[in-house]
Amino acid sequence: MVKKIPIGPFHPILEEPEFFELHVDGERVIGMDMTIGWSHRGIELLSEHKTWDQVPFLVERVCGICSCSHPYAYVKAVEDLCGVEPPLRAQFIRCIVAELERLHSHFLWTGLAGHFLGYNTVFMWTWRFREPILDVLEAVTGNRNHYAVMKPGGVRRDLPQEEIGNVLKLLDTLEKNNDMLTKAIVDDPVIHARTKGVGVFNKAQCRLYGALGPTARSAGYDVDIRRDHPIDAYDKVKFNVILCEHGDVFDKAVVRQLENFESIKIIRQCLKLIEDTKPGDISIEIKEVPPGEGIGAYEAPRGEVFHYVRSNGGNMPMRHKVRAPSFNNILTNELSVLGNTVADAGLITAAVDPCYSCTERVGIVDRRDGTRRVLTEADLVRLSHEKTELIRKRFAEGGGNR
Amino acid sequence: MEREEVKKRIAEKFGAKVKIAERSPRRVYVYAENEIWVDLARFLFNDLDARFDTGLAVDSRDGVEVMFFFPFDREHYFVTIKTFAAKPNPTLNSISPVIPGAKWIEREMFEMYEVKFRNHPDLRPLLRADNRPADYYAAKREVKDEHETVRQRDDGDARADDVAGRPPKGKNP
Repeated sequence: MVKKIPIGPFHPILEEPEFFELHVDGERVIGMDMTIGWSHRGIELLSEHKTWDQVPFLVERVCGICSCSHPYAYVKAVEDLCGVEPPLRAQFIRCIVAELERLHSHFLWTGLAGHFLGYNTVFMWTWRFREPILDVLEAVTGNRNHYAVMKPGGVRRDLPQEEIGNVLKLLDTLEKNNDMLTKAIVDDPVIHARTKGVGVFNKAQCRLYGALGPTARSAGYDVDIRRDHPIDAYDKVKFNVILCEHGDVFDKAVVRQLENFESIKIIRQCLKLIEDTKPGDISIEIKEVPPGEGIGAYEAPRGEVFHYVRSNGGNMPMRHKVRAPSFNNILTNELSVLGNTVADAGLITAAVDPCYSCTERVGIVDRRDGTRRVLTEADLVRLSHEKTELIRKRFAEGGGNR
Repeated sequence: MEREEVKKRIAEKFGAKVKIAERSPRRVYVYAENEIWVDLARFLFNDLDARFDTGLAVDSRDGVEVMFFFPFDREHYFVTIKTFAAKPNPTLNSISPVIPGAKWIEREMFEMYEVKFRNHPDLRPLLRADNRPADYYAAKREVKDEHETVRQRDDGDARADDVAGRPPKGKNP
């Protein structure tokens, strides 16, 4: 019996609406259709009516969690078009803010994944670890989110000298916390049972679908824009690109956890190198944007953010294209859910760390007699929790993962 | 693969049907005729081992300029392939059968600019609300012009083409 189960378009935990229609045979998913665009805001068109300097404020609202990555890619596109580089100090500040953002984004995902699995302790702990990062971002940029720090030609705000010590202190604490969390995840047999071999998307598929970020790296597809197309200070610091090989939900979690250590490493190096730069030298003036086109790419927490701008010599972009990493990554779900169970589907679609939103409704349509049943989001989470409980019991009885 | 090698191999394979330009060490532009469009994407993706990134369309009065981006990550540069689909009825062959990752971006271009992609596996609108009329293409120049009185959208287009080394609108190399 083939049924269709719609998931979405709204989801209570994540930020933006999407709609997944699962085609199931019993418990197994045999197909999937996706609809996006539920909160189409016309950012590209709005951008074409703002001056070059106003656009960063607009594009940082593309995503609340990536509110540094989008302006970063945009200002790089404008700088590519103008052929300029920001002062060294601005480059380090950009990297510090961007890596702090990656840390809080990865912690956020780990917490949500914990909640999906029925590990609400993980959810609570990661939220606790994440909070000081937002405090530091507020101290450094003036805001917990939407930092408004990027501008074509540099940054808007210098790094206060007295905050450097606070950031370093945070990194020490964070390193210990992340270490504890990583070990807790990697050593837990129930998490292994729930996530290993689930939602597999292999390396060849990643290449064909243009998968990005941790989604790609978890399958061994080696792409990281920070290393491949280094911008600003990224070619002045040393870091590793974390790769796994199986492409399942477990590896996606491991990649994110280990990347946190690399981000900490990058910020420490930047904080050291910034001491040799002149305070206050944070921006150059771009008087005129010449006609032409520019490309800006930056490795956001979810993968490569891509911005394209075209200028006709005026004071506004003639065309501005924004491509968020989720645009490529969400498409990978159409293969990665195949053969998995409905209880795992929510986890798999969440594993690419998409941005989707606030209420979820689940409907089941029986194709044979046309009856409809509507489940709430709580039902889907309950299904996932029940499966985790079942596995926990098996382990308690000494049965292991069957 | 190094930039010069890529340029040489594209020129060898496609000859006069492409025009190659380089604006900076990190950006290579290949302007292609419509009929070799898919072959060029296949050549870059399969034979030269480029990564597929994304695509976009830029509308003008005479047609739609469509471009796709293929980064060579190890060598730190982007190859942008471009073609021009003339109005009315801008139509191109789809690269989705070769690169499934292009499915959504082609659907978006169809929905926004009415670029029809032949052989696309599923050319439905991607973002449009269900109650939008089927023939409403939100980002088309004609639609924008209707609503826009603030500025002339083609101010300086020709100047931009000239500086960027693009062929004049409506003509492929």
